[in-house]
Amino acid sequence: MFGFVGPNGAGKTTTMRIVLGVLSADRGAVRWHGKPVESAMRRRFGYMPEERGLYPKMRVRPQLTYMAALHGVKDPEGAADRWIERLGLSERAGDRVEELSLGNQQRVQLAAALVHEPELLVLDEPFSGLDPVGVDVLSGVLSEYAATGVPVVFSSHQLELVERLCEAVAIIKDGRLVASGTVEHLRGDSGAVRVKVEGDPVFDVPGAQVLDRGPRGTVFEGADPDAVLDAARAAGRVTYFALERPTLTELFREAVK
Amino acid sequence: MSPVRLVARREVTERSRERSFMISTGITLLIIVAVVVVPGLLGVGDPSTYTVRVTDDASRAVAERAVALADSFDAQVEIVADPDADVTLSGGEIRAEEEPDDELVNLLQVANQEFDPNARPPLRLVTAESADPERDAMAGVAFFAILVLYGQLLTYGFWVASGVVEEKSSRVIEVLLATIKPKDLLAGKILGLGLLGFGQLVMLSVFGLAVAGATGTVDIDGDLLVACALALGWFVLGYAFYAAAFAVAGALVPRQEELQSSTSPLTMVILVSFFVGFVVINDPDGTVAQVTAFIPTTAPITMPPRIILGEAAAWEIAASIGVMLAATALLIPLAARIYSAVVLRTGSTVKLSEALRLASKQ
Repeated sequence: MFGFVGPNGAGKTTTMRIVLGVLSADRGAVRWHGKPVESAMRRRFGYMPEERGLYPKMRVRPQLTYMAALHGVKDPEGAADRWIERLGLSERAGDRVEELSLGNQQRVQLAAALVHEPELLVLDEPFSGLDPVGVDVLSGVLSEYAATGVPVVFSSHQLELVERLCEAVAIIKDGRLVASGTVEHLRGDSGAVRVKVEGDPVFDVPGAQVLDRGPRGTVFEGADPDAVLDAARAAGRVTYFALERPTLTELFREAVK
Repeated sequence: MSPVRLVARREVTERSRERSFMISTGITLLIIVAVVVVPGLLGVGDPSTYTVRVTDDASRAVAERAVALADSFDAQVEIVADPDADVTLSGGEIRAEEEPDDELVNLLQVANQEFDPNARPPLRLVTAESADPERDAMAGVAFFAILVLYGQLLTYGFWVASGVVEEKSSRVIEVLLATIKPKDLLAGKILGLGLLGFGQLVMLSVFGLAVAGATGTVDIDGDLLVACALALGWFVLGYAFYAAAFAVAGALVPRQEELQSSTSPLTMVILVSFFVGFVVINDPDGTVAQVTAFIPTTAPITMPPRIILGEAAAWEIAASIGVMLAATALLIPLAARIYSAVVLRTGSTVKLSEALRLASKQ
């Protein structure tokens, strides 16, 4: 799973639209497995735009059947029924989309993106507007789908969620890629260590700089973690000791500054 | 199945299942029944009563004979002195302001013949207005044709526009354009709604003719069938032209609420054509009729009445259709380009000038 993040107006939606061929790029090329993407390939992609992306007055089953047929699925009705069942929409299959709850609309939308079993799934802000249960359902389906070996790319502002779900992320700003790679790689090994000693005594570690000193402990940089731990134990009882690594949120703030 | 066919099929099935579509079709059917059947019922109920004025003794004798014969014609005849009588019999002539009923004329002719079949020439019919018994009936058909064309072009054009806006405002357009080309989507939409409109017209025509034939209100003859075929043919021509323009009007705006204003120039043009249609019915060979036959915006409504009334020469019909086809052939690619350029602008209304600029950059 791949997270696509960036501040508002950075170009996330535009990028996704270009990937899907909805917009044409001024410059550059979209490649899939090393080959330039053309329309026959795109029909095997799945896309879920931000907010809706369904005919409000159309009923669920014909809508999914139509989407499957447009993607060239051989048995569109069968595919629609499969996904209706899989996403728990059986009782709603004959309802108009506009009559459904937001959560169910989101499921139909997801089913519409998945109904042709895409080789690549691209979702624009799939989690926005969902309650925590809806987020869990959606992330469960996406993880399950990604586990079958299909790349899932999604954009989101919920960085904790991105951090939890994604193996890799890309951060863009003003239409440019400012950071990309696995979350592990991006967070890197800052070499800093946060340690908290009971009673908060002030102590130093030879050769290390103090980055932060406060109620949550002291952050040392530039020393071997073992040396820091030794110094801390000498100062008192250690209650917290961890490598200090930035969260995705911190990386994001740093990257788009 | 090709994308165009898929899109067209969806348009037909979804639209035809809409309650508003069924209701409006039902209402139209009722109107046809009312128009066709009700006058017949009113006419058949009682024997017709005619008034005849006479100016000389010979005429009086014929009129009195007609009064006696009237029963077998399921009619009543009264001899009156009122100058407003239906007809005036005078010196072997039937005089009337307007074309009198055939029934009355027949009755008087039969009465006249009974006196001395060999010596008496048939009565001559003299009307103040030029006599063309078919003229009124055909004008009625022509009126009905422009009414139906006007309604159908307006309705289906608007449906094209609102269908485009529905896809824009629901962002389903993004999903669709990720799988098919904008021109395929547009072609499918126009084709699907066009088929539906054509099918509805065929159904209404067949229904109308069947009801009229069954009740005997209208004689179903070649002229009437030609008129129906013409209305259908000109619907196709006019729809192809207007649908492309309506699609652009829809693509320019983000929401249904703004659709009224962006389509209003087009609905105005259709409305004006409708009124011009009246002028053409009254004067099918006048300057207005001749000029508007070659303007693609008015021709679909003003040409059919001319043809129905027999006032359009074959070359005029051919040239008018030619102009229509040429204009449509120019408009559709242009509309497809504008549509492709602006259909993803879901944020705000796009000005036509801006849309043209974007389309030319593509």
